[in-house]
Amino acid sequence: MASSTPSKTKTAVGAVIALVLGIAVVAGVGFTLHKVSADPQPKEYATVHGTIVGPDGKTYPHAFIADGVYPDPIGSKAHGNCATCDGGHPSWPSYGPYTHFVLPAHTYVTMTLTVYDSGGSLNNPYFGRVVGTIGGTALYDGVAQSSIDPNNVEHTFTLHGLPTTTQDPLYVSVPLPLNTDKEMAAYNNDPTKLPVGHKVTFSFITAGAGNYVWNCEYPCGDTTYQGFGAVMGQLGYMSGKVTVVNG
Amino acid sequence: MTTLSHAPVSTRPIPNPKRSLITRLNMGTGIIVGAIFCWGTYYAMRAGRDMTDSHNVNKVLLASMLMWSFGFLVGIGALIGPFRWLIGKDLTAEEQLYLAGDGQGVKRYFKYCTDHKVVGIQYLVGVMTMLGVGGTMAMMIRTNLATPGSHLVTPNVYNSLVGLHGITMIIAMIIVATGPFGNYIMPIMIGARDMAFPRLNALSWWVLFTAIPVLCSAWFLGGIPTGWTAYAPLSDQAGPGMNAFLATIIIFAVSTAVAGMNITTTVIAMRAKGMKWNRVPIFVVGATISVALAIPAFPTFMLAMIQTGMDRTIATGFYDANVGGSGWLYANLFWIMGHPEVYVILIPGVAALMEIAPVFVRKPLFSYNAAIAGFAGIAGLSVLVWAHHMYMSGWMPSLNGPFMITTEFISVPTGLLFLVLVGTLWRGRPWMKLPMLSVYAFLWNFLIGGITGVYLSDVPADNYLHGSMFVTAHFHYTLMGAAFTGAMAGLVYWFPKMTGRMLNERAGYIAFWLIQIGFNVLFLGMFMAGAQGQPRRVADYAFVYEHSNMISTAGAYSVGIGMITLLWAVVHSWRNGKIAPMNPWGAKTLEWTVPYPVPLENFDVEPIITSDPYGYGKAAN
Amino acid sequence: MVNHTEELLPPTPGQRVSKFLSRKDVRQTFILGAFFTIVFVVLGIWVYPHWMPNVLSKEMQADEDIMIWFTVISAPIAGVILAIAMESFLNMHRGDTPPEDGIAMRTHTPVVIIWSSVSVLFIILALVWGMVSMNTDAVKAATDAPNALVVDVTGSQWAWSFNYPAQNITTHTLNLPVDRPVTFNIISADVNHSFWPVQLGVKVDANRLTTTVIHTTPDKIGVLDVKCAELCGLYHAYMETSGQVESTTDFNNWVSSIQAQGGTQ
Repeated sequence: MASSTPSKTKTAVGAVIALVLGIAVVAGVGFTLHKVSADPQPKEYATVHGTIVGPDGKTYPHAFIADGVYPDPIGSKAHGNCATCDGGHPSWPSYGPYTHFVLPAHTYVTMTLTVYDSGGSLNNPYFGRVVGTIGGTALYDGVAQSSIDPNNVEHTFTLHGLPTTTQDPLYVSVPLPLNTDKEMAAYNNDPTKLPVGHKVTFSFITAGAGNYVWNCEYPCGDTTYQGFGAVMGQLGYMSGKVTVVNG
Repeated sequence: MTTLSHAPVSTRPIPNPKRSLITRLNMGTGIIVGAIFCWGTYYAMRAGRDMTDSHNVNKVLLASMLMWSFGFLVGIGALIGPFRWLIGKDLTAEEQLYLAGDGQGVKRYFKYCTDHKVVGIQYLVGVMTMLGVGGTMAMMIRTNLATPGSHLVTPNVYNSLVGLHGITMIIAMIIVATGPFGNYIMPIMIGARDMAFPRLNALSWWVLFTAIPVLCSAWFLGGIPTGWTAYAPLSDQAGPGMNAFLATIIIFAVSTAVAGMNITTTVIAMRAKGMKWNRVPIFVVGATISVALAIPAFPTFMLAMIQTGMDRTIATGFYDANVGGSGWLYANLFWIMGHPEVYVILIPGVAALMEIAPVFVRKPLFSYNAAIAGFAGIAGLSVLVWAHHMYMSGWMPSLNGPFMITTEFISVPTGLLFLVLVGTLWRGRPWMKLPMLSVYAFLWNFLIGGITGVYLSDVPADNYLHGSMFVTAHFHYTLMGAAFTGAMAGLVYWFPKMTGRMLNERAGYIAFWLIQIGFNVLFLGMFMAGAQGQPRRVADYAFVYEHSNMISTAGAYSVGIGMITLLWAVVHSWRNGKIAPMNPWGAKTLEWTVPYPVPLENFDVEPIITSDPYGYGKAAN
Repeated sequence: MVNHTEELLPPTPGQRVSKFLSRKDVRQTFILGAFFTIVFVVLGIWVYPHWMPNVLSKEMQADEDIMIWFTVISAPIAGVILAIAMESFLNMHRGDTPPEDGIAMRTHTPVVIIWSSVSVLFIILALVWGMVSMNTDAVKAATDAPNALVVDVTGSQWAWSFNYPAQNITTHTLNLPVDRPVTFNIISADVNHSFWPVQLGVKVDANRLTTTVIHTTPDKIGVLDVKCAELCGLYHAYMETSGQVESTTDFNNWVSSIQAQGGTQ
């Protein structure tokens, strides 16, 4: 080992290189984390067709958006509906093909969810009620209802956000009806045969631009405590984002 | 002394117990055997199990991780001695000398080496690695929180970052002083030739080592959503990454039990002739009280984790209210460990500063007895305060009063620690070297950590502050601002004895100021966020907390750059630093009476102690 | 002659104190101590009201008062510590060799006793303050309970819901009438949460199958933020909702508008 100490310039250069290297390593870790955790959620943009008069008498642009809820990613993949389903969790149900919804601000949004999954009881029966939609109801296969039986729920679409001074509140919660065992029978034998499904349609009016999240309140994480582990704890299956944008 | 050669020179023939398995085993064989045990367990247990059931996944993973740890210990030869005992024999003298690593150069650092100085260096490198990993995670957390909107990572990754930063730093901070200095320096300080149980010493390090890959594996198993406190029932619900956390704690608890017993026994039984209890250097007292406190604390954590593991693998319901369990059981077990644990971290750091202050002020330690009373009082009270973490949990609100009393009374012994340090400074002319600067940083940081601690211990104020960023800022002021500052002072102070070289002063100063100023900006910003009402452990926050979070992040980057500078200073100085004289600071403790490299058994002639090591100064006029 | 005799006698305690106080370093320390004390007092009085959100209840006012006054009370202690540290820092010695030894003062019993006594007194003061404040809250809760508005709070991963049994409505926002005591019964549908209506200065965990209870009386009108203060998994950060403390008339209107919608908001 050399006993002579290196020159001052050499030491200083070494220190600077080490510093840059250190920062680069940390930045690299950050970049990698950002990449691997980057929004895995395919975005769906609402499309505007014409205008509609809201319950307050004002005229709003009318936007439409649609998505599905599948018993598991394999099922939805088989139907070409799930863009990111990797089959890594064959027992996990999922919203699909989209979990990130982009909506225009100050717009009357009509959302249609087609549900193909079975279900059961909610942990909190509150989420069996329809909240925050126009008229406080949703159309269940064409029939307007303000709630469904909290013991016969497939999943829920519960949209909420941080209350802040810079974005308007937006809260929508709609329970989705389950497919009965009879309706699921064919699928249970052959995962490519999805049931006919149920269509749930509801409308709400977005306020200003903002970032919100949605999640499902039906405990579909099987075999975990209160059913909220597994799929419920992993972003992009039973949870996602809603972004409201201007213009 | 300046002619000391840097390479270790042995005067004895290198022992070479040929045909003994011991000579062929090292970290590499440990990893291989560990990996075989791990994968073997994994595939054997997986076969025929329904892996869509989370309980089965947990069983397989938990068993594989624990078997890795066991396999590693088999592979590195940790069990050869115990096996020999089983058949009525022991290691031969030659093998024991071989295990001490004499004359084996760098290789001994990768072996099951019983020399306390080798174990000390292993701990030092291990601690620095863990601090680096934990610090990188802290940078990620602060980057994500720099602006509202959680732009860097998803909530899954954020929650994992928070939890794994927490546990990595807690483990690193528990061993940051007692690991490197407790093992390398402390036996020399008390005039011992080695630790009381050299093989257990090696065991404590290598057991801890096996926890590191286990903890890292959490990242590849989906992370942990629970934070480092791993509260149940969230931990019952958590994904496969949680198993890595459980296994880490179980392994770590074994390591601390072994190390704690070893250090305590060494100090009780192996002090040099004449080193009565009132002549023991204060760092030794602090480190001993700290590990003695850890001995009852960590098994409780292990127990809590074993129960979580049972809930997760065989569906017991210790923490599941649906079947009669309670999350409060977990919270109690956790904090019975958790509050003594913060003092396990704090005491050695403060003790190191108390060791340092008299040397640089050239005055005796002010009121040695008050220092002992302070440490003992803290240790005694710290086992009676745990439920102050549970004021707002709803568990026994009627106990809030009694726990408030015990908690606030801990300020009295803590006040004594301040008294000892400011008393030592009083009328002194401090030699402003790097370790001494840390004493000032400590006083400022711990003062703020202490005062905010009084608010938090007060039940009505805790109504507002509990679970907010204010708590996070408070405990970083005590753990990082106080304990870490003390440990870093210890590193600079004992660096010459551990490496034979002086730490680069200029880089040290730059690092010190970047870290300390950045630290204060970072956590004053966080106090602000907490007072404003931002909960802790949130990936995203409302716009009102925008400025306080931006301030925190700016401070964090300064700390980050400072830490990289410090790391460079350590690595550079270790290789190229100025050769250190035997006693660069003019200190009076025993470790400065031995040369570098420290001989295998430390002392050629056993020292005899006639006074305490603080005999500085002239009589007052 | 007289002076001569006096010099031979040991100094009286009064003389010792006056000699002590005449020392330059002691005076400097006192000035620094006064400076740091004032800094902490000003910080305590200014910072917390400035940082903390609107105070909408007596409980919140009590929380804030404790933070302010504990800072003020501890300011002199902080002042002493920082002054001694600063005085010694300013007296530093630099260079590569250690300075001369200082005085060999190993302890000073009166100082240790005074220091310990002052910290015990400080703690007793803080304790009495805290106990009285706790007791005031408890007594108030007990006397107010019969007239209180009852709100059943449920924490679910990751949203709050509120049930007002007397009004027979269920909501996702928390509206409360001003000046009426309120009792929150809190429960969780799954893991632990912590119910934190920020501006009301109260908080308690939500536990599965065990109800926890807190009381408060909102006494000012304003916006409420309701947060979860216990890490509860994926969307813990988003488990927040808003609310309002409003006049009794506004509250009754809000209730009847929800009842008209079928009782759900």
